[in-house]
Amino acid sequence: MMNVSNKKKKKLLTVRDITLIGVMVAVIEACKMAMTFLPNIELTSFWVIVFTLFFGWNMVFVIPVFILIEATIYPFGLWLIMYFYAWPLLALIVWIFRKKDSVWFWSILSSLFGLSFGLLCAIPYIFIQGTTGGLAFAFSWWIAGIPWDLVHGVSNFVLMLVLYRPVRNLMKKLPVIKD
Amino acid sequence: MTTENNKKKSGILKICLGLIALAAVIAVMVWAYNKFSEKPVEGSKAITIEVVGKEKEAAYELKTDAKYLAEAMDEAEGLTYEMEDGMILTVNGETADFSKDSSYWAIYVNGEYGMYGVNEQPVEDGDVFKFEYTVYVAE
Repeated sequence: MMNVSNKKKKKLLTVRDITLIGVMVAVIEACKMAMTFLPNIELTSFWVIVFTLFFGWNMVFVIPVFILIEATIYPFGLWLIMYFYAWPLLALIVWIFRKKDSVWFWSILSSLFGLSFGLLCAIPYIFIQGTTGGLAFAFSWWIAGIPWDLVHGVSNFVLMLVLYRPVRNLMKKLPVIKD
Repeated sequence: MTTENNKKKSGILKICLGLIALAAVIAVMVWAYNKFSEKPVEGSKAITIEVVGKEKEAAYELKTDAKYLAEAMDEAEGLTYEMEDGMILTVNGETADFSKDSSYWAIYVNGEYGMYGVNEQPVEDGDVFKFEYTVYVAE
């Protein structure tokens, strides 16, 4: 007689996970679109941080889906490669510090990410040969973009400081979090 | 009660240290920008602006006291341009729209790829600026 196990196989992704991933990507994209007229002021950093804190490993799917949707909207460029390491790096750092629940900690972290975004994006230029590549080019490229990095860093700080507590409290009440 | 107060003080101290560290990073970045970015030079300067478009080419030689390239372009007789969001969109009637066909106006300064937009690119005596209609091709 066959021994049938009553245990259900644990699925990697449930329907709920897939739905949550879709909703998270939609929230990030909608906020990005809404703020596109404000250069270097964005909510993507905020949502990557918050979603990583609440939904953890689902970000492994959220971030690539978000980037691929961006690739359908904007022409292919070096920015695509930058996105594929910059946003996962932020999610990884957030995951390491996931036990922290201080608005100041997350505001400072978000700000540091914004300030370092230009430096992170300059990295691929180091490996490009020719007049638009090399270490000197990458350095000059980063220096030229510093004013925008400062806008990015300050706006990330302010947005996190203002939004972290209300959004966190709201997220805690969501049935999908309580389950 | 004392443990609670100590914890609170420790928390406030950490926040202060974090904010100081953040301010220090911002200060270093401001210093780096001021030290390493190109500075405008005042005085009468002889420059050349070349335009290599998809269909036509042109060159303008002029003497200018402009600090930045955009001001010099305004003085170049016969040169017309339009900008959008701080970027050059049209030069001498030819439009390069990246969102439509991955085309853009590349800026070269003395043969090297320019780091700055026309509003931030300083002008020095003897500079040769080139605007080249370019189509981005993924490698």
